[in-house]
Amino acid sequence: MTHKKRKATELHPAAKLYAREHAEGKLSRREFMTRATALGVAVPAAYGLIGLTAPAVRADTPQMGGALRMQMDIKAQRDPRTWDWSELANVCRGWLEYLVSYERDGTVQPVLLESWEASDDAMTFTLNVRPGVKWNNGDDFTSADVAHNIERWCDASVEGNSMAGRMSAISEDGKLREGAIEIVDDLTLRLHLSSPDIAIIVNMTDYPAAVVHQSFTGDDPVANPIGTGPYLPVSHDTGIGAVIERNPDHTWWNEGNGAYLDRIEFVDLGTDPAAWMAAAEGGEIDLTYQTTGDFVDLFEMIGLPATEAITAATLAVRFNQDSPPYDNVNVRRALQMAVNNELVLELGYNDRGTVADNHHVCPIHPEYAPTGGTPFDPEQAKAMIDAEGLGDHEFELISIDDEWQAASCDTVAAQIRAAGININRTILPGATFWNDWLNYPFSSTEWNMRPLGVQVLNLAYRSGVAWNEAGFANAEFDALLDEANGIPDADERREVMAKIQQIMLDEGVLIQPYWRSLYRNARPNVLNAEMHPTFEVRYQHYGLA
Amino acid sequence: MLLFLARRIGVMLVTALCLTFVVFYLTNLPAKLETLAKTQAGARISDAEVASWLDRNGYNQPMLTRYGEWLGVVPGWTREAADGSVNGRCYRLTSVSEPGAAPTRCGLIQGYWGNSTRFRADVADVISSRLGATGILMLWVLIVMVPMALMVGVLAGMREGSRTDRSLSTFAIASTATPEYVSGVVFIALLASSTVGLSPLLVNWGVIDGPVLFQGNARSALEKITFWNFFLPVMTIALYGMGYVARITRASMTEVMTQQYIRTARLKGVSFRNIVLRHALRNALIAPFTVIMLQIPWLLNGVVIVEVLFSYPGFGWVLFEAAANNDIELLLAASVVAVVVVLITQLISDIGYVYLNPRIRIS
Repeated sequence: MTHKKRKATELHPAAKLYAREHAEGKLSRREFMTRATALGVAVPAAYGLIGLTAPAVRADTPQMGGALRMQMDIKAQRDPRTWDWSELANVCRGWLEYLVSYERDGTVQPVLLESWEASDDAMTFTLNVRPGVKWNNGDDFTSADVAHNIERWCDASVEGNSMAGRMSAISEDGKLREGAIEIVDDLTLRLHLSSPDIAIIVNMTDYPAAVVHQSFTGDDPVANPIGTGPYLPVSHDTGIGAVIERNPDHTWWNEGNGAYLDRIEFVDLGTDPAAWMAAAEGGEIDLTYQTTGDFVDLFEMIGLPATEAITAATLAVRFNQDSPPYDNVNVRRALQMAVNNELVLELGYNDRGTVADNHHVCPIHPEYAPTGGTPFDPEQAKAMIDAEGLGDHEFELISIDDEWQAASCDTVAAQIRAAGININRTILPGATFWNDWLNYPFSSTEWNMRPLGVQVLNLAYRSGVAWNEAGFANAEFDALLDEANGIPDADERREVMAKIQQIMLDEGVLIQPYWRSLYRNARPNVLNAEMHPTFEVRYQHYGLA
Repeated sequence: MLLFLARRIGVMLVTALCLTFVVFYLTNLPAKLETLAKTQAGARISDAEVASWLDRNGYNQPMLTRYGEWLGVVPGWTREAADGSVNGRCYRLTSVSEPGAAPTRCGLIQGYWGNSTRFRADVADVISSRLGATGILMLWVLIVMVPMALMVGVLAGMREGSRTDRSLSTFAIASTATPEYVSGVVFIALLASSTVGLSPLLVNWGVIDGPVLFQGNARSALEKITFWNFFLPVMTIALYGMGYVARITRASMTEVMTQQYIRTARLKGVSFRNIVLRHALRNALIAPFTVIMLQIPWLLNGVVIVEVLFSYPGFGWVLFEAAANNDIELLLAASVVAVVVVLITQLISDIGYVYLNPRIRIS
């Protein structure tokens, strides 16, 4: 992949657009800052865009040494490729590293790879292994290690191996396809795909893709901690905690750019945030893993400021186009127009997120094209519904009984009602909701984030795919999506993406009110420990001021 | 006496058998097994993978057979893989892999408690280390609770209806009427919060250095118990039991104080202090002794709430974790331990009563 990185001085085009919106008063300063920095614009540069100077910025290089205690669930370990919780991966990040990493700004950065290139048709990927990387048992890290790991990921016969699905372009019959990996030399290998897949490298950032040594056979990476990273586990007790210390006998390839802390202690305090709060007050933890709801503010009150990660996780209030009256595009667009997404974010999710634009592509996706959203016009909405002869029709919005999802749908329904359109709310318990989630005429579904914009569109909006709950079938959309799937360069893909997003808007596919944010609270002297959109805890970079 | 002991142990075995069967039945309902497979092999695995996991791990046999396996009266399941290697319940528990090397039966009778799926460890190890932590907590609870309860009860019962009696009784009733999950939270808010309660005041006055007076979380007590991290959990359990024992002591004390021999002593001119200490106390303490012993199983109850609330990994915490994760063999072992604790404390209370009260005989 000619993964073009913008020069440090060059700004993301969307950031400039946001700056204009801020000047026009459409974006608050805070929202501008979160959006612009999420695009990878440095904080001082972002302030510069809107004509302000950045507040005094603290020095960001931590001192060497020190210990940190973090609240996090400690679960029984198992084979990395079968991990189903980010926490399992986070404990091991100090010694098990990844080929590539997903960054807070939405970019993918090389770790154990030095670089990679994709052919123009996204059918062949050349991976260049980082030279000079050593395992902590003294072995060299070579392309054979990479090939071994990719082969492990492709093995679908292992129950719960979620990597197998992500590697489908190079597997066959549930294992690595013969000839899919070509080892060129010690530091180079080539992947030959059976169909274009620009997500294959991105999928290697996922937490089950930890790179293990060839001697790893068992299912406990803590018991036999051979890895490339600078730390080693000292103890690991399920449900209680884990202690990790710097490995004195190993020279890390990234020496000098991390491994600041001598010791990291994970403390499992259960699932009740009140217990975490009590522990923080007693000085027993320095940071939380993830804080939700009111506790974000409560932790701030006791001196642990929050950091926020914008994610592409969202609530899709979608219409099913197979069930009337939602087969009529004017009805869908009218209902969209009746809803002010900002209000849904504020009342349904306490303003803990970013307003979205009804097309399910997030500003943190590298190929995001700023298209604007649906206009908010309740009068026009009512007029359109009346024009379709549905003035007396009673719509029904279904949601699960989960607190924030129900509250968000309540806000959506209340606004539609305020526009003068009849609507009824139904809340189903979780046990029954999922039995039929694909077929409700008008309902909401929670979607987790994927790093690339095309990934969710492929899963949920392509004609006839398994999770197409919107019943959306549009040949032009499918063709454009195919085209986008074959463009490895994000900037080039953005041009196609603009058209795709416009189709989503024109067709009124869903009301997608906001992107959810994630929060973490940490003491002010903890550095580099900001919340990560996919929950990564890279403690090899954490440090104390 | 021996017959009495044998009968008690027999009752204990029957109770344990019934209880474990109920627990076994409830944790082995098909939906529960599916949850177990999903927590073990991955939350998003398909139905076919669930079925294959259950099959490979011996969960697809009739429930009674598997209960028998756990008891050790039915031979443990074995399974021959395509490559000739043999796997099975007893192979896993003894960690041998050669075909034929493992014992045929490996249940409770043979001394195998099984494996904990939540902690991926031997159940016996998990239970024994956590029971130790709870033992320390209970020891401190008893050290705080018993003298306090007896003192309050005796002081209140000395002069029935006096002002001391009324105020101490009110205190005792209030403390025993407040469940642990209320008093624990109130304690944390009052004494272990840097924003509300007592701590900010004390910081203001310069009495304490840290942000809080007591720690609202007892995790650090696992490594080193200090007054500051252990006070709140101990007090939360102790207060609840204290009120009850104090009420019993008071009742017993007032009854003794109306006895003829107390009046005689009084008429003889013995001082009130001596009457209480020499004549009343010993007889008044018989009833509280049994109640304290019976209170211990009740305290185990409170331990679940308090250990989870203060994140102190002891027996109660293990019980909570096992139940939350449908850890079958750990739950079974925990119920056995609970039955043993209940019956042993009852036994001690019965036998102790005989020694304290010469009028009673075990026949």
